[in-house]
Formats: sequence, structure tokens, C-alpha cells
Amino acid sequence: MDFSFLLDPYYINILLQGLLTTVVLAVVSVAFGTLIAIGIGLLRMMKSKVIRFIFGAYVEIIRGTPIVVQLIIFYSLFHVNVLLIGNYDLSPFIPGMFTLFINSSAYMAEVIRAGINSVDKGQWEASRSLGMTYTMTFWKIIFPQAIKNILPALGNEFVTLIKETSVLMYSGVAELTYQATMIKSQTYGFMESYLVAATFYFLLTYPTSQLMKRLERRLAKSDE
Amino acid sequence: MMNKELMIDVKNVSKVFKDGTVALDRVSLSVKKNEVVVLIGPSGSGKSTLLRTLNLLESPTEGEVYFEGVSLSDESTDINHLRQKMGMVFQGFHLFPHLTVLDNLRIAPVSLKKQTISEATITSELMLQKVGLSEKAKNYPSQLSGGQKQRIAIARSLTMSPDIILFDEPTSALDPEMVGEVLNVIRDLASQGMTMVIVTHEMQFAEEVADIVYVMDKGRIIESGSPEIIFHQPKTDRCKEFLKRVIEKK
Repeated sequence: MDFSFLLDPYYINILLQGLLTTVVLAVVSVAFGTLIAIGIGLLRMMKSKVIRFIFGAYVEIIRGTPIVVQLIIFYSLFHVNVLLIGNYDLSPFIPGMFTLFINSSAYMAEVIRAGINSVDKGQWEASRSLGMTYTMTFWKIIFPQAIKNILPALGNEFVTLIKETSVLMYSGVAELTYQATMIKSQTYGFMESYLVAATFYFLLTYPTSQLMKRLERRLAKSDE
Repeated sequence: MMNKELMIDVKNVSKVFKDGTVALDRVSLSVKKNEVVVLIGPSGSGKSTLLRTLNLLESPTEGEVYFEGVSLSDESTDINHLRQKMGMVFQGFHLFPHLTVLDNLRIAPVSLKKQTISEATITSELMLQKVGLSEKAKNYPSQLSGGQKQRIAIARSLTMSPDIILFDEPTSALDPEMVGEVLNVIRDLASQGMTMVIVTHEMQFAEEVADIVYVMDKGRIIESGSPEIIFHQPKTDRCKEFLKRVIEKK
């Protein structure tokens, strides 16, 4: 195996750019995905049957179809013209980010909904009987407990999302996998370029899952 | 005008659950200021449901509940505001597990802007003292025994300085050796003139602390009166039978 391309500043630059893009994609979609997921999770618990049905269907359809296919559909659906920020064209990002938001929010909405439902009904009653409003009870009593319950599942979702950013190579976003493919085609080092990419992904996912575990332990201190 | 001393007035309340179970069948009851009202009766007789209609955790399907002259079912009634004046203590404690004891006590008065954080801290510490658990302020609920949890739950309801406290079988989930400490706290409250409605299976305690006892069976109040009468000269056969059964069990 020949890893000598790792010594070439040209390839290092390509790889680091890909890594940076992947990190940005992951962070942005985790953040927005979680926010959208909380919204959808809440909407799925509304009294209105119509709203519950619509967002239930949303979750089922998104979870029941492959992310690559979704990406290609959204890609052909949105005809985004060149969108220059500085001298960087953001247009390929639009369908890609959209896919990641939609996809991660559907998975996380289920997790969040389950977390909210897992909080004992007595917690609602205790809080409401003190005179606290529904909204206050939700944000101060129920939600913090729900998040604690679902942190492991949420951590998994974050890790999955980091890996799934790789589908954006199909829409021409120069993220890590895309760059690895490019290096492969220039150096003919098939195995080597993807091994390097895999290592980089692992260097992102492993600290993430460790971080989530630490957060879990910190939040678990009230259970001691 | 309604009698000012009348804190709670329940008029012909019925509750039919969605599955058709009749939990309450035209129940009427009133609670005066400074009075301790105890509800007894076999399991499934509707005691807890009745108690829960008093602060609208359960909404009656028929009839009216008045609190300090205000109808709970009236559309203009702000139930959150009324609940601030009605403490509730549950069988399962329901302390907030993610908050320290002190924050369990402070969260309602602070969130509802009844008190500033420093005011709420002072009240909370006072209430912890009252239930004899000052040293637990920094602990989390999971570090407490059942009896301590329930005493904290009582302290939590007290921080809102309620006009009345509703107790829903406060000692039923406790190990026998912890029942006493909780009952003592309730006794103290009674001697300080706190208005209370208590659902309990502790007959001796009921007899000692109650001003009025209501006996329920199958969603109805079958007898009511002073503890002397209810426990020693019950009129109805069903009441006699119930009392015989619970006393035999002891």
C-alpha cells in the first residue's frame, strides 16, 4: 500500500477541505435537525388528529426510504442556481442540507417523542398542581428529564448523521468521501484513499460518542 | 354571596370515564376553612377521583366544584391561578428527579414569579425546617428515603403558601416504618390550622386528625360525620362492613 500522497501538500489540502466540509455539514445538520425534530416531536403529540397524521406520515415516509434516493429526488426537485458566498458556490449544498435536515429530524423526532412519553405522568400532575402552566411544565420539568432519558439514542443519531453526510458526494458537495474519490482517481490508490477517509470519519464519530457518554454521566448525577 | 368560610363546595359532581366506568355518582361535599376532611372507603370507591376533581386534575362530567366561591368549570376561571392556592401531595411523591431538593421547592414560586430566587430560598429553607429535612437541601430526590421524599413533597406544596392541601393517599406507597414521620408532619399542619382534604387508609390517623369523615363506596358518599360517629356508631351496613374489614386487617 502506498500512502505517500499523505505527504503531498496538494492532497493534504484536498483532504482537509473535505474534512472541514464534513464537520460543517454534520454540526449544522445536528443543530437544525434537533430543532426541527423537537418541533415535529411536539406536533406529533398534539390533540389534532390531522396534524398528528400528517407528521406521523412524514416520519414514516422519511424513515422508510433510503437517504440516497431522497437526496437525488430533492436534487432534481430544486433547481438551485449558482449561489456565491465569497467565491464559493453553495448551490450544491442546498438539496444536500435539506435532505440531511429532513432525514435527521424524522429519526430524532421519534426519539424525542419517545423520550417525552417516557416521563412519568405524575410529573405533569405534580407540576400542574403547583399552578405551573403547560408550557412551563413542559420546558422546566418534562423536557429536561426527556433529554436525559434519550441522550444515548440521541448520541447514536448524531454519530449516524456524521456518517450520512457522505451521501452528499452524490450531489457534488466536496466533502470527505467526495475528496477521497477524487484522490483515488488521481493516485489510483483505491484502498488507501478510502482508508484515510474512514480514519477521518472515525476521528469525528468516536470523540462524539465519547462526549455524549460523558454528558450522560454528568446528567445522571441526580440518579446516584 | 357564598359563605366566605366555605373553601370548597362540590355540588352533585359525577365523573364517567371514557370507557363508561362511573367513578363518581352525584357527589356533594364541602370543606370549610381550617377544617380537616378525610375521605375513606374501599379501593375503587372514587376517593382519589373526587380529590382530583377538586383541583381539576380530573374534570367532572357533571356538576360543579367551587373553590373560594369560584366555579372551576367556568370558562373565565384561570385554573393555574387557583391551583397555586391548592397544594397537592401524591401517593407516588412525584418529586422532580432532575432538580435538587431546594430547587424542587423553589421552582414553582420562582417560575410563577411569586417570589424572587432569594425570597424563594428563604421560604424553602423555612419549609424544609418545618418538615425536619434542612440538611437535605442540596440532595437529589433519588438520595432520599420514601418518607423523606413525601415530607419534601409536602414542603414543596407549602412553598406556594396554599390555602388548602389535598393529600392523595400520602402514606400508601411507604414502608410501614416510614408512615409515622409523614403522618406527624400532617398532624403538625392540622394543629396549625391548615385546611386539608386527605384520602387515606390509615383509619387510626383519620379518626385522630379529621374534623369530618366522608365514607365513599362505588362512587357515592354513603356516610359522613364526625370521626366519633363514623368510627363508633356508623349508620349504614355498608359502612359498618367496610370498617370491620379494615380493622380486621390490622
